[in-house]
Amino acid sequence: MLLIQLIINGIQVGALYGLTAVGFSLIFGATKIFHFAHGASFAISAYVFYYLYAVLLVWWPIAILAACIVVVLFGVALDRYVYGPIQSTDGSFFTIFVGSFGVAVVIQNLIGTVFGRGFISVPSVLSRSVELLPGLYVAPTAGIAVVTAVVCFVALQLFLGRTNIGIALRALSESPALVRTFGLNPKAVSTCAFALGSLLVVPAAVLTSMTSGLNAAIGGRVMLISVAATIVGGVGSLRGAACAGLLLGVAENLALWRFDPQWSEAVTFLILFAFIVLRPSGFFGRVVTS
Amino acid sequence: MIAYLVNLATLVCINAVLAVTLNFIMGYAGIFSLAHAVFFGIGAYVAAFIALRWTDSLLLQLPAAMLIAGVISAALALPALRVRGDYFVAASLGFQVLAATVFSEWKSVTGGIGGLVGIPPASIAGHAFTDPLQFLGLAGVTLALVVVLTTAIVHSSFGRSLKAIRDSESAALAFGKNVALIKTLSVFYSTAICAVAGVLYADYLSFINVESFTIDASTLFMAMVIVGGIGTVWGPIVGAVLLTLLPAALTYLPFLPRTEIGSVQQMIYGLAMVMLMIFKPDGLMGAKQREA
Repeated sequence: MLLIQLIINGIQVGALYGLTAVGFSLIFGATKIFHFAHGASFAISAYVFYYLYAVLLVWWPIAILAACIVVVLFGVALDRYVYGPIQSTDGSFFTIFVGSFGVAVVIQNLIGTVFGRGFISVPSVLSRSVELLPGLYVAPTAGIAVVTAVVCFVALQLFLGRTNIGIALRALSESPALVRTFGLNPKAVSTCAFALGSLLVVPAAVLTSMTSGLNAAIGGRVMLISVAATIVGGVGSLRGAACAGLLLGVAENLALWRFDPQWSEAVTFLILFAFIVLRPSGFFGRVVTS
Repeated sequence: MIAYLVNLATLVCINAVLAVTLNFIMGYAGIFSLAHAVFFGIGAYVAAFIALRWTDSLLLQLPAAMLIAGVISAALALPALRVRGDYFVAASLGFQVLAATVFSEWKSVTGGIGGLVGIPPASIAGHAFTDPLQFLGLAGVTLALVVVLTTAIVHSSFGRSLKAIRDSESAALAFGKNVALIKTLSVFYSTAICAVAGVLYADYLSFINVESFTIDASTLFMAMVIVGGIGTVWGPIVGAVLLTLLPAALTYLPFLPRTEIGSVQQMIYGLAMVMLMIFKPDGLMGAKQREA
């Protein structure tokens, strides 16, 4: 029974990891920017939601909407004012990584200073567990997480496949030069990628604030997981990132069966490490060793 | 006041050793490691372990720490041989997280979160470095040796092979360079010397715990290299001086609560990293290299 419980918890966590990782993967695929500050986006939206909903007691749809707006603005501003200038002078991986990483460091400490470094969580009836079978506890958030993840993923696939902006996004990942030839502005398309990718962290951020809680350092953790899921899933493959996110979530929880909770992060790393050494291209990706 | 300055100078020397060794793999080998604090920690824990159980002799602690750090560096060299750039950064980040967990959980050796207390001061041939001024001398001499040695390696044929691999791995391979061996050796060298800094740190403070060896420390070391100027001789040293003195300088700002100094410091260097990348990606000392 414990095993089933852990698998269910794993799927709940994994669905949210997958969603965050898909956002990261979308940005990386379209713009080739390794967006280390994606974890910061997650932390920002989670704390905006927490502050509005749990402190100011705003009605929850408005709180979520506000979190969406803030995180999209953050993503787009980063693209415009940090990555854009860096790319126009020196587009090497290293400068972009350092810039992105610097932003992540600043945001983490800003949140720590404003909201404190302790654990906080948003109280909600949705995270109260119900005993489904003897010894098996499931909270409504588990169902919500899975349903939201599936809905978001399907919606994203439809968007990328059917709409003009979606097709432009996929074109940008294939060839920025061709995007320009067709009269589209690659910068505008890249802004869309950042807006969409950042938006995808909101459901995960809101649900995480209700279930496992938040602290100032959560951005770093989310970043590690998104990066790991993107690499394990295969860079450029959204499906891969979603599956890998799920895998990491389940693996992390299954580890609790035998190990202390402190080691669950180590499991994520071991999977990432094994993939980097044995299969750097991930599940579905192409080999990128350059 | 003198004691305060001597303390700062000693920490600057130790941090400068770390920055110089990190710059060696970042600037010349193109291996952007976010796990440098791991090897700093290994050096410190090995030194503390030996000092608390067997001997305070530096001549025994140093080789042991260097050897163990060098062997564990295989965990870093392995992904470095397979992937580059962002992928490697991710791997090293994961390694750092794992190592921090080991440091805080392996209580019989590392003392867990509480750390190890009462590490005896180091000694060479029976002479104990109890006087802070003498210890500063020791740290300064170590720094000088590390800078000279690292510069010599960079200018040797090994260093040229290293830079060739950084700029184009396939070209270096085509010229018959043993890429895997050169990369592994450079990581070995960097981490072994990094462990030396760890030994000095443990012997100097006589107290260590996991907080000094977390991702925050790795970020700080990387910031030192970047702010100073990656791939330059003096850049990492300048970066180490600036970022070590920053928290000390911040304590003089009366309106800052003491508990927030750590955060403010991280915000400043995070912002410095972003601004430098936008306006001057070579770092503070980078321009001089360009003129030459």
